Amino acid sequence: MNSPVTSIKLVLLGEAAVGKSSIVLRFVSNDFAENKEPTIGAAFLTQRVNMGDHTIKFEIWDTAGQERFASLAPMYYRNAQAALVVYDVTKPQSFIKARHWVKELHEQASKDIVIALVGNKLDMIESGAERKVAREEAENLAQQEGLLFFETSAKTGSNVNEVFLGIGQKIPLKTAQNQTQGAGRGSSGLRINDDSRVDLRSSGDQSASGSTCNC
Amino acid sequence: MSFFDTLRQKAASVKFLDKLTDSTEPINRDEKFRLVYKLPQGELIVDDTNADISVMRPNTGRIRAKSAGDGTRASNTSYVYSGRLYLTRHYLVFKDSFDTTSCTFTINLSTVRKVERAASSSYATSLAITLHCQTRIAIQFIGLRNRTDSFCQKLKEALRENVPNTKRLAPFLDSCYSEYLIAKNVLNKPDVHPPPSGLGQKYRYPGDVSKEKPKLKLWFDYFQDQGRNLTIVKTGLFYKLIRVGIPNRLRGEIWELCAGSMYSRFANPEEYQTLLKNNAGKESRAIEEIEKDLNRSLPEYAAYQDEVGINRLRNVLTAYSWKNPDVGYCQAMNILVAGLLIFMTEEQAFWCLVSVCDNYVPGYYSKTMYGTLLDQKVFESFVEQKMPVMWEHIKKHDIQLSVVSLPWFLSLFFTSMPLPFAFRIMDIFLLNGPNALFQVALGVLKVNGEDLLEVDDDGMFIAILKHYFQTLDQSAHPDSTNAKYKQITKFQELLVVSFKEFSNITVPMVEQQRTRFSKDIQQNIESFAKRTQLRNLPQVRNLTPDQLSNVYDSFYLCIESHKISMGTGSSNLDFEAFLQFLSSFCDWCKPGDSDHLPRFRKQKRDFLKRVFARWDRSSIGELSLSDVVYGLDGLLSADIMSTINNFFAFFSQPGVEEVTGEGILQLSEALLFLTDAWRSGRCVDQLTKRAIEDDIAESLVEKSSGHGEAINDFELPSGVTIDEEKYKQEQTERYLRAASSFLQRSFEYARASEPEEEIDLLDLSDNEGESSEHKKKKWETLKANAALDPGKRSVMNLATFRMIILADETYEMFFATTLRASIHVDEKVASLDGRVSGLKNMFDGLLADGKRVASQVRRRVDSVATRNSASSGSVMESSENQEEVDDFSTGHAYEHDELLKNDLISTDDGDINQDHLESQRKKLESFSFTDPLDSREDSFVEFEA
Repeated sequence: MNSPVTSIKLVLLGEAAVGKSSIVLRFVSNDFAENKEPTIGAAFLTQRVNMGDHTIKFEIWDTAGQERFASLAPMYYRNAQAALVVYDVTKPQSFIKARHWVKELHEQASKDIVIALVGNKLDMIESGAERKVAREEAENLAQQEGLLFFETSAKTGSNVNEVFLGIGQKIPLKTAQNQTQGAGRGSSGLRINDDSRVDLRSSGDQSASGSTCNC
Repeated sequence: MSFFDTLRQKAASVKFLDKLTDSTEPINRDEKFRLVYKLPQGELIVDDTNADISVMRPNTGRIRAKSAGDGTRASNTSYVYSGRLYLTRHYLVFKDSFDTTSCTFTINLSTVRKVERAASSSYATSLAITLHCQTRIAIQFIGLRNRTDSFCQKLKEALRENVPNTKRLAPFLDSCYSEYLIAKNVLNKPDVHPPPSGLGQKYRYPGDVSKEKPKLKLWFDYFQDQGRNLTIVKTGLFYKLIRVGIPNRLRGEIWELCAGSMYSRFANPEEYQTLLKNNAGKESRAIEEIEKDLNRSLPEYAAYQDEVGINRLRNVLTAYSWKNPDVGYCQAMNILVAGLLIFMTEEQAFWCLVSVCDNYVPGYYSKTMYGTLLDQKVFESFVEQKMPVMWEHIKKHDIQLSVVSLPWFLSLFFTSMPLPFAFRIMDIFLLNGPNALFQVALGVLKVNGEDLLEVDDDGMFIAILKHYFQTLDQSAHPDSTNAKYKQITKFQELLVVSFKEFSNITVPMVEQQRTRFSKDIQQNIESFAKRTQLRNLPQVRNLTPDQLSNVYDSFYLCIESHKISMGTGSSNLDFEAFLQFLSSFCDWCKPGDSDHLPRFRKQKRDFLKRVFARWDRSSIGELSLSDVVYGLDGLLSADIMSTINNFFAFFSQPGVEEVTGEGILQLSEALLFLTDAWRSGRCVDQLTKRAIEDDIAESLVEKSSGHGEAINDFELPSGVTIDEEKYKQEQTERYLRAASSFLQRSFEYARASEPEEEIDLLDLSDNEGESSEHKKKKWETLKANAALDPGKRSVMNLATFRMIILADETYEMFFATTLRASIHVDEKVASLDGRVSGLKNMFDGLLADGKRVASQVRRRVDSVATRNSASSGSVMESSENQEEVDDFSTGHAYEHDELLKNDLISTDDGDINQDHLESQRKKLESFSFTDPLDSREDSFVEFEA
C-alpha cells in the first residue's frame, strides 16, 4: 500500500448493452447485476491495482452506449491513456461499431493511447448461444491496429481482471507518472484515498482497493 | 404620370408591409405567447385587451375585498388585478401586468357556464363569467368602447364554437384528483372514488409522506377559492404551495397543469390510445432500444420490478417514439418517464413528456442531443458569470465541467439525487421552466464550492458531488448548537441557495444564452457528424477525402427534411432527391433545353432509375451516403475499361455479361441521354477544347509572327474571337455520328440468338453534308427497324460492347475522360450553386485558362520552326503511324488484346470504311491529347499539314 501510486485515465466505449458497465462492476466490485440502470452520459469509478512495485489507480469513465451519445464521447476520451473498446461476441453489429470506435480513437484521442479490444459475453457461447464474431477476425483487427485483445465474460468474471492488468503493463510507468504530475496531483495522496472510499462504498461493495486484482 | 408612379410605389410598399406583418411578426408573437402559457399548437391570439379582473368565491357571490377599482396595488389584500386579457380559440388567458406571479389564468372556454353583462359605474363594459366550478370571474374592460365590444363579440363567437367541446369536459374532470377532493369534501358524495392515478397510489410514494394531509388541505382550500384544473387562477399562493412541495396525490395533476400538458391532453383525448393502437406490433430501432432499458429504469422502485410498472413504462415510451420518430427514444427518457408514472397515469405522463421534450428542454433527447450539449455550454457561461472563482479554478486545471453536470441536466436530476428530492426539483422545474435546472446546478456548485476548489480533476468533482447528493437529507449544519439551525437539511439549504442567490437566472436569460451558443453547437455537431460519417465510409479508390467531403455536403443538401445538427429527418436519398443530388454536380444531369423533350425526359428517367436501383445495395428504395459513394466511385474510375464495364452493368443482370435486344435499345437510349449535354453543345469535351485551343493558338501565332513579340508572360488578349457556333456544330455532328454508328455497330455485332437477318444498314453510313436533322431521323428509322422488330432478338456481350465503344473516338473519349470530367466532385457545395454552365461560359472558362493556351502557342511557334526546317509529306505520315503503334502499346495494352481477339475494327469495317478511317484518324489525335506533352508536338505538325 505504500508503493507509489500512478493514475491511469481509462474510458470504455462500445455499443449499447454489450456489457461495458458490467465489466467495470466486475472489475471494481467483483459483482454482477442483471439489470443495471443504463449509463446516462457517463459514470465515473476508480479502482486500484497492485502491480508489484507500484500501484495503479484506474480512473474509469464508463460511457453510455446508445448511438446518439456518441457525440459526447470525445468529452470522455479526451486525455485518456487507455480505452476498452467492447463488443458482444454474439452481435456482429457491435463488432462493426467497435471498428468505428477504434478508428475514431486513433484519429481523435491522445496519440499514445493504449486500446484494448474486448469481446464480452463469452459465457453466452458457453451456454449455447451462437458465436457471431470469430476470434480470428477480432485478432486480425487487433493486430492491424495494434490493440490488446481479450475475450471476457463479465458475468462469470472470466478474463476481466486480465484486461486491466494488460493495460497496466502496457502503459509505460513513466508516461503514467508524468501524466499524474502534469495534472498537478502531487500533494493529493490523502484525498485520493478519500475519494476512493466514496466510490467503492457507493458502488455497493466494500472490497478493499487492490484486493479484487490479486492475480 | 407621376401620380401613377406614386400610386405604384405605394402599392408596392403596402404589399411589402403586408408580407411582414402577415408572415413573420405575429407568428413570433403567437409562438412566444403559446410557449409562455404552455398552450397546445394552434392556439393563436384572436384578440387581446387591457382589463381588470377579480375572482369571486363560489356560493358567496361576493367579491372578496373589492377594491375601489382605482387600480392601486399597494394593498396586499386587493383582489383586483390589472393586466392583459387574451382570447385564443379555446382559452381565455390573463396575466397581471405588474407581476405575473400575482395573478394569471388560462381558462378553457368549455368550462364557461354563463357570461353576463354586469352593470358597472366606473367601467365602460364589464362581464361576469361563471365557470363550471362555480367560481365567478369579473372582467372590467379598459379601453375604447368599440375595441371592447369587438373583444366581447369575438369571445361570444369563440364560446359558441366551444359548445361541442363541453361534452368532453365531464369525462376529463373525472380524471382530475382536484375534482375528487371537492366531490368528496364539499359535495359530500360518499361513493366517489379517486381517479386513476400513478403507480404511487398502489406501490407507495417514495420519501417522507407525513405532511401529506396538511398539504392536501391547503390545496383543497385553494381549489375552492381560485378554481382548479382547467379553470385555475394562479395567484402568489399557488407558487408558494408548489415551492413547499406538492402532496404526492396531487403531484400528477399539478405537474400537468404547470407543464401545460393538461391542455394538450384535453385537446387530444384519443391521441395517446390511437398511437398505441395504430402502431401495435410494429418494430423499430426505438422499440428495440426501449426494450433493452425497461428493466433498468428506477429498478429499486417496487412497481418496476413488476409487469404493471414495466408495461406502463413501455406504453408511454413507445407511444412517444411513434409520436416523434425524429427523437424516438433516448436513454434518460426511461428514467424521467419512470418518475412521472409514479404520480401520473400513462396518458398524463405521455403528454407531460411531450411538453418537457418540446418546450422545456428542446433537443435534449434528439439524435444528436444538441439541446443537451447546448445547455452545457449555457451552464458553463453561467458559472463563468456568477462564480468567477470557481470558473478560474475549472479553467486552470482544465476540468471538463460538462462531464460532471451533463447527467444532472439530461435526467433532470433523477439519476443524481434520491428520488424524493428530484421530485421536489421537478415541481419547481415544471412550474418555472428550464432555468430551474441551471439554478439548482449552480446551487450545487456553490454549496460545495470549498470542497471543489480543493480538488483539481473532473473525476474528483464527481466523487465529491456524488457524496453530497447522497447526503442531502442530512443536516446542513450538523455542528451547530442552534437547534433550529441544525434542523435545516442540505436539501433545504440547496433550495435556498439555488432559488434565492440565483433568482436572477430567468427563463428569458436561458433562452438568450441558448440562442447565443446555438450556432456554435450546431456547427460542432455538424462537423463531428461529418467527420464520423466520412471516417466510417467504405474505402473507395476514386474519391479523395476532399471529394468525399463535397459529396457529403451535396448529399445532405438534397435531403430537405434533414437537419444534421438536430438529428432529425431522413438520412437517405429518395429518387427525387437523388436527381437533385446528381444534378448538383453532374453536367449531364443538370436541367437543359432537352428537358422539354418528352423523349429525353424518358431517357433521363429510365437511365437514372436504373442507376438508382443499381446503387441501392440494400434494396430499400433509398440511397444511403455509402451507397452513393460506392456508386460514384464506379463512375469516376480512371480506367476506361472499368467505366465501360460499370456502364454496361447497369443493363445486364448481375453476373451475366450480356444484354438482350430490348436492353441494347435501352443502353443506347441511355448513352443518348448521357451524351446530350455535349451533343446539344451545353458542355465541351476534350476534343473540342483542344480544337479551340489550337485555333486560338494558331491565330495568335499568325498575329504575333509579324511583330516577333515575346509570348512568355502570355495573357490572352481580349480581342480574340471564337466562332462558338462552329465548334458547337462540329461537336454536335461528332456526337450524332457516334450515336448513329454505335447503334449501327451494336446491332451488327450483336450475336443474334436466332438466325441472323440481314438489315440494310448501307444507307446509314455517314454522308458528309447530310444535315444533323436528317441523320437523327434516319437513326430513328434504324432503331424502329432493327431493335423493335420482335422477330429479331440479339444479344450483346460485354466484350462486344467494349469493342464498339472503343471503335468510336468520341465515345471512347467519353468513357475515358469526358464522363469523369463532367462529375464535379472537386467543387464545394457553395461553388456548385453559382457554378456557370452553358457553352458560352465554358468558353470563358477556357479563355481564362490563358496559361495553357500560352504554352500551346509557344509549342506551336516551335513547331512552325520545325516545319520550316523539315521536309514535309512522307515524314508526317510515318510519324503518324509511329504514334499509333506507341499509343496502343503503352496506354491501352489490354485494349489492344481486346481488339485483336475480336478482330473487327481494322478488317471487317467494309461498309463504313470511310467513316471509320476518319474516326481512326481522330482517335489518333485524341490519344495524343491524353499523352504527355512531349509527344504532342508531333500531332501539331500533323494537324497543320
